[in-house]
Amino acid sequence: MLHDFLSAHRHRAVHAVARLALCALLTTTGMGTTPPPASATESAESLRLGVVPTMSLNEVTEGALLFRTNQAGRYRPAPILKTDVQIAVTGIIVRATVRQEFTNPSRQKGDWLEGIYVFPLPENAAVDHLRMKVGERIIDGQIKERGDAKKVYEQAKQEGKRTGLVEQERPNIFTTSVANIGPGEHVTIEIEYQDTIRYENEQFQLRFPMAVGPRYIPGVPVIIEGQDPKGSGTRLDTDRVADASRITPPMQSPGQGSSNPLSLSLTLNPGFPITKIESPFHPIISIQDQDGGYKIALREDAIPADHDFQLIWHPAPHTESMAAVLTEQQDGETYAMLMLVPPTQHHEQTSRIPRDITFIIDRSGSMAGVSIEQAKSSLVAALSRMTAQDRFNIIQFNHMVRSLFPIPQSVTPKTMQQAIRYTEHLTADGGTEILPALRQALQSPQDNSRLQQIILITDGQVGNEEELFELLHQRVGSRRLFTIGIGSTPNSHLMRKAAESGRGTFTYIGNVNEVKDKLDGLFKKLERPVLNNITIDPAGWSGLEQFPATISDLYEGEPIVLALKAATLPSEAMLRGQVGTTTWSVPVSFHNATARGGISVYWARQKISALMDETYKGGSQEVIRKAVLDVALHHHLVSRYTSLVAVDVTPARPTDRPAAEQDQVTPVASTEDHAALTGLPRTGTGGQLQILLGLAALLLAGFVLGLRKQAA
Amino acid sequence: MKRSRLYPRLSAALMVSLLTIGCWQVAEGSWIYAKAGLAQFLLQRAWSRALAGEPMPKPWPWADTWPIARLRLQARAVDLIVLAGAHGRTLAFGPGHVSSSALPGETGTIIMTGHRDTHFRFLKELHPNDHLDLTGRDGITRHYRIIDRRIMDSRRDVIQTGPDKQDLVLVTCFPFEAIQAGGPLRYVVRAERVY
Repeated sequence: MLHDFLSAHRHRAVHAVARLALCALLTTTGMGTTPPPASATESAESLRLGVVPTMSLNEVTEGALLFRTNQAGRYRPAPILKTDVQIAVTGIIVRATVRQEFTNPSRQKGDWLEGIYVFPLPENAAVDHLRMKVGERIIDGQIKERGDAKKVYEQAKQEGKRTGLVEQERPNIFTTSVANIGPGEHVTIEIEYQDTIRYENEQFQLRFPMAVGPRYIPGVPVIIEGQDPKGSGTRLDTDRVADASRITPPMQSPGQGSSNPLSLSLTLNPGFPITKIESPFHPIISIQDQDGGYKIALREDAIPADHDFQLIWHPAPHTESMAAVLTEQQDGETYAMLMLVPPTQHHEQTSRIPRDITFIIDRSGSMAGVSIEQAKSSLVAALSRMTAQDRFNIIQFNHMVRSLFPIPQSVTPKTMQQAIRYTEHLTADGGTEILPALRQALQSPQDNSRLQQIILITDGQVGNEEELFELLHQRVGSRRLFTIGIGSTPNSHLMRKAAESGRGTFTYIGNVNEVKDKLDGLFKKLERPVLNNITIDPAGWSGLEQFPATISDLYEGEPIVLALKAATLPSEAMLRGQVGTTTWSVPVSFHNATARGGISVYWARQKISALMDETYKGGSQEVIRKAVLDVALHHHLVSRYTSLVAVDVTPARPTDRPAAEQDQVTPVASTEDHAALTGLPRTGTGGQLQILLGLAALLLAGFVLGLRKQAA
Repeated sequence: MKRSRLYPRLSAALMVSLLTIGCWQVAEGSWIYAKAGLAQFLLQRAWSRALAGEPMPKPWPWADTWPIARLRLQARAVDLIVLAGAHGRTLAFGPGHVSSSALPGETGTIIMTGHRDTHFRFLKELHPNDHLDLTGRDGITRHYRIIDRRIMDSRRDVIQTGPDKQDLVLVTCFPFEAIQAGGPLRYVVRAERVY
């Protein structure tokens, strides 16, 4: 009984620690606020009312959203934000619409607001459409170079026009800004993106991230005098994360989901019979229609954004081989997408090569709660998969790096015992310095007689992704890096790219029950031979441009996925590769390829991704920027260097007032403040309760002792 | 006969588990208070670095906060270093400054929060006309006089803030003696600047 109570209490404490980012950041422009002479009358009015109704105490208590006006010490209620996500899956192509409705709850005349919302999307999302809806009107967004788009937005904001802007901060973090939302008004921003479904281990997987986790920002803050920080987040820009203020929105505790509700619905047309559909983390309702498609909705209308949505479906066994060839003709070019699962060679019994496995486990503060438990059980499960001919080491890190052994040790009962005890004692606390931990793991000498594998277990909540990719690119050599993503909303961009740079794979573990299955899958991959040196035979192609340019090694169960562009397609292409010493080849026919829209977008997104990889491979920034601009502007895609902007030509906020009045407004707007808007947390601790409970338990112990004495 | 042998074993096991739970809970509960006290020592050092002009002196290398002001109440030997940002994480070490409110030295309302059972426990002993001293990063100490204390319901009430005021608002949870954290009531102390 007491145990139950204690564990419930602890659970809640853990929950409070694991605060999630609501990722909404809101500021006011302060434009159109009543000019100073009028504000004198306003304060007179507020005296009469007794309070200035600008900030509710409720919003100050739980980290809700307040936002400051240009006048210090004055606050307004935040715009309300509602998100609706509609996803359509056809085969392996995903088309999704994210609808963000901003509402200005103020009733006061002149309270014009600007909303800034930092939100996550899948890491390969190609954002290609922006629509702004104001009442009945719909304004389409234009793709522009990032700086130009920002200028268009700022100018429209000054002119009192409603305007919306979508920018990319990271491949999986985006920012929407909406200016000039009038009192009581709604402005809806619709963003469309395209993505592809992942197929792996005979299942299809769709993931929609729900929150931007609180990220660790390494480095020394850098302030440039007289210049505002780049963003309005809670952290300052640093020497190592130059855009930290753009990726660290204020956080909200999970209990407060109502202020940013999210609804999600999905149509699924897999194109082949499937056996079952699963959503491991959210209860769903799925209804099948006559033509083999499914309509899927969340069982609850609006859910708090605290765990990534995942949908998994399994193809019915014994359908024809999993190969898909899709093509699209555009501007005289042919784009193609090719997905193929190579046949497995089970009969070939290759002798097992001894392995050196280095485990790197993240025990930073962001892993506190369930995540560290998942990480620990994953590590223990992984340790038990090793055999006597293997060697291993464990490196743990937060802001410090600790290594169990100086160099990898052979697997003996003694070292295993040591390792398990070491793992069980891990607690989550402190910063997240992945870089030195990886450097430590990469220090051991390369040895071609053994398979050298590094397994990184983390939630990836850091802001310095590119430093890691750079290190891996330079130092990984013949070693392989496998990443295991832990927690409810891990940074999958980091995980996937790191594994790609380290020529390994990414495994996502969403809860403790999945640990065993997922690790079985991973170890199967580690133990089986890889398919390498995969190439596409260039004969028959003209003007072929393929992404990825070099096809990475394939582990069992993984498909080859290629984006191709060519002037003419051959009727058949040949894929070649090597398993161990045997060569492998498979023909792919383009005769009965399905024509589909969106393949050019897929190709363009892959090209941008390949170009961005050049930044940490030492490519020139300016060359990369130009190349990305070319592709992104042509294909209407948001990238690091391009943004979508929409401007409603009809001015909304009156600017045709007498000039005198306008003059007073302008200087105010120029000093407007975009500083962070955090609310206040709970201000009581559970310390007293714990001490009291502890004392009660001690007292009871004394009482039992007394009883025993009596009985004796 | 059998029962009498079972009983001592059971009671011994019960006693041991109660002792363990008791010690663990007392230790963990006390740690919250110990941390609150100990951190202030480290913070005092970081504060002197702040006064020396270091822009963001982190009290320990992985900290994500830094001192921004020193709050003193001479009459009650209260001497607290106030940290930037009012998040759950920073509040364990010291009172937090609400970053969207004014900073000491700026015009506008300054808002600070603290735990009702550690740093801001002294709020309940404050009376109108008590004097508070607030030192900013500029090294200048400004004096404040308490003008109002009230209990507010966070679900309904609002804090009065003014653009050209020069006042200080301290917020903590209420009631002070509540065992469980997380009630809706807040204790709000307002002080105005005196020269």
